[in-house]
Amino acid sequence: MTPLEIGLLVLGIGAVALSCLGLLTARDTYLRLHYLGPASSLGTPLIIAAMVMHEGLSFSAVKLVLIGVLLVGSGAVTVAAFGRATAQRQGLVETDSPA
Amino acid sequence: MNGWLVGAAVLLVVGMLPAVVVASRGHVLDRLAGLAMAGMVATLDILLLSEGYQRSSYVDAGLVLAALSLTGSLVFARLVVRQ
Repeated sequence: MTPLEIGLLVLGIGAVALSCLGLLTARDTYLRLHYLGPASSLGTPLIIAAMVMHEGLSFSAVKLVLIGVLLVGSGAVTVAAFGRATAQRQGLVETDSPA
Repeated sequence: MNGWLVGAAVLLVVGMLPAVVVASRGHVLDRLAGLAMAGMVATLDILLLSEGYQRSSYVDAGLVLAALSLTGSLVFARLVVRQ
């Protein structure tokens, strides 16, 4: 492992770990949802970047990038869906409202 | 034990453990947030283990888990509202 790969890996794992600890300590549902963001949009790309740099140009690296894109996208979609579900259960948004 | 396996072990302890704790207590939507985080951490852990053990075929499991985790979360969110 090169120093750059180690740095990216440590930063990525640190971001995911801090997000998980924040998820554990948050008291409100909306606050908890906020901690899903950094894990998917910051921690995941850093870890994937470290692995892609280690792999080099190969088919496995393409799959890793695909998984990274999927995880980054799914994080944002999940936060939006859970936030909407929470608002609907609290009566802040109509259940059948399309927006 | 290489750096990838150390990273996977660290992620299991400081990432998966809090996510599982959140997923196992509290309000239903809090639990869902913990479940989504646990799915993400599990996917990253599988990728790190595949790198650590030099088994590129394990990456396929991570790809499937990433896709199913998103689908499962969205289905759960939909069902929780209808409850």
